Amino acid sequence: MGRFPRSILFLAATMALHNAYSAEVNVCAAASLTDVMKEIAAAYEKQSGDKISFNFAASSLLARQITEGAPADIFFSADETRMDDLEKAGLIVPETRRDLLSNSLVIVVPNDSKLTIASPDELITKAQKIAIANPRAVPAGIYTKEYLSSLGLWEKLESKMVPTENVRAALAAVESGNVDAGFVYKTDANISKRVKVAFGVPVEKGPAIRYPVAIIREARNKSAAEGYLRYLESENARKLFERYGFIVKF
Amino acid sequence: MWPTPVEWQIVRFTLAVCALSTLLIFPFGLAVAWPLARRRWPGKLFVETLVTLPLVLPPVATGLLLLKFFSLRSGVGRFLHQHLGIDVVFSWRAVVAAAAVMSFPLLVRSARVGFQSVNQRLEQIARTLGAGDARVFFTITLPLASRGIGAGIVLAFARAVGEFGATIVVAGNIPGKTTTLSLEIFEAVQLGHDASAYRLLIVCVIIAFGAVWLSELLMKRSALR
Amino acid sequence: MKLEIRQLSLRLERFTLEANVDLHNARTGIFGPSGSGKTSLLETIAGLRKPEMASIALDNQSFESTAQNYSLPIRLRRIGYVPQDDSLFPHLSVRHNLLYGGNGKSKDRTLSFEHVTSFLEITSLLDRHVQSLSRGENQRIVIARALLSAPRLLLLDEPLTALDAKLKDAILEQLGSLHREFGIPMLYVTHDPKEAIEICEEILMLESGKIIARGSPRELLA
Repeated sequence: MGRFPRSILFLAATMALHNAYSAEVNVCAAASLTDVMKEIAAAYEKQSGDKISFNFAASSLLARQITEGAPADIFFSADETRMDDLEKAGLIVPETRRDLLSNSLVIVVPNDSKLTIASPDELITKAQKIAIANPRAVPAGIYTKEYLSSLGLWEKLESKMVPTENVRAALAAVESGNVDAGFVYKTDANISKRVKVAFGVPVEKGPAIRYPVAIIREARNKSAAEGYLRYLESENARKLFERYGFIVKF
Repeated sequence: MWPTPVEWQIVRFTLAVCALSTLLIFPFGLAVAWPLARRRWPGKLFVETLVTLPLVLPPVATGLLLLKFFSLRSGVGRFLHQHLGIDVVFSWRAVVAAAAVMSFPLLVRSARVGFQSVNQRLEQIARTLGAGDARVFFTITLPLASRGIGAGIVLAFARAVGEFGATIVVAGNIPGKTTTLSLEIFEAVQLGHDASAYRLLIVCVIIAFGAVWLSELLMKRSALR
Repeated sequence: MKLEIRQLSLRLERFTLEANVDLHNARTGIFGPSGSGKTSLLETIAGLRKPEMASIALDNQSFESTAQNYSLPIRLRRIGYVPQDDSLFPHLSVRHNLLYGGNGKSKDRTLSFEHVTSFLEITSLLDRHVQSLSRGENQRIVIARALLSAPRLLLLDEPLTALDAKLKDAILEQLGSLHREFGIPMLYVTHDPKEAIEICEEILMLESGKIIARGSPRELLA
């Protein structure tokens, strides 16, 4: 055997070994988790050698895609209803489901806005356009509607609402100045430099926000997914979640 | 089986908005198509490219440009807001704007072909008979180009009805205010309301039939038999 | 009529058309083989072509003067033009084609619609579609249309091509008496000696863009 074929053999062996050890985990996660999950994944990839790939979107869209057979290993939803839908359809591994996080809602306004909101009913007179994640489907919008309905304000504010695809789009709408205010999660307001919080919904008065996570039954890399799920409940992950403003439930 | 009142409102809204946008681009489309068809001038390539841009750019990218253009932070948006009390973004006006911009290239292309197909000899003969440029354009050029122009109008209208990417960026999907057929079908698909999506789909097919039938009717009535 | 063509120079594909003539006959012919520049000459007079250099005037009104950078717009020249190819407007009826240039009235003459249409025998065709006409009918209508615009000069470019002999003879007779009937002078282009002799008082003989002879058709062609 000459030098050339031997080095190819060596290369092939290394690659085979590498593949045996590293896997790719597909994570479908709510849009509001975009920044924190990317940072957690970067840390995990260094430690484990696995690769995490993401699909961030409104939980409703993700649930729909998974139902239609989109390849995913983990689903991290912003509300329980989307996860319930998948569980009823038998698409997740029920034993792996757990509530990891909670969040709180805030009203944000553009950074250069002079608007002050002492309470949500002031929106009736002070705002013409309010951005909100689509209240028909997206958890952030559903939570907002739940909250405003509990205050008897939903009907009065409904005509001002500008529904968006997901909560990050609502944030962007406020950042652009094309709406007067918007309802987003506190964690979204935290990462944006172009909006400021005008009013924070007190956690006790607000809707019960829960972020459940679970492994998809049809997952291709169950063991790698389990490994990542365990990492999400680790001390390192907790620190990152808290830094971004999430309320940690584990 | 039959569309709901909400769905009907969306259909009416879509047809009204698309008719308006097609009406708006009609004179401008002809005004651009004619010199492109007949003359050579410096900067022609630039104009041709500009007109073709909405065809080539991803619609959401065009929507982004429109969003920036009409944003309350921009010159145009601020002017409209302060002096005319008009907000374009997230209103029906944005729907019209998106439809108009996206369908404009189709009108121009077809109209241009229409104008190019006109036998210029006939225009010259008309001049020998005493017709000035305006009369030649309206009595000879336009009727003889009507097939291409008519096709352009139908295409533009159809494109406006099917418009989605730019619309959702600059107008948003606001029920009762900016929701068009395309946006509603998207929403229905997202929410799993397949029956509604199919109903609206059938309406789209009927609109397509209607548009083609209307264009055939206009062709028969007009210039060339 | 007085048509002055001075220092005309028009570059064509294979040669340069040149002319320096004064025409004053009511029925002048331009005779030559195909490709000799006859059509280009007519087009230049009508204003459909721009020569590199020329000074053209009709009845003392300047049409073209390259020296003074002046060119009278086509629509103001009041020249009737009957080209070789199809020139009826396909989207208009015969009647509307005829009336496009006017109904015969102008400040110096009056031709009535009835007179023109009956003379050229097209009264029965008025409501027909242009597509349904035969070539002979087509030509007569084009001539009538040009007449009804009350021109000062009529230019005809081989109007009898592609017509059968019997039809030719019929229309030839009408063309010959056109001036007598309506008082409009004409320039008649042809490559057929018989037509030239029958219709024209004087002809210019054109070859490769140059006028090589001028005189009575009978003398030059018989």
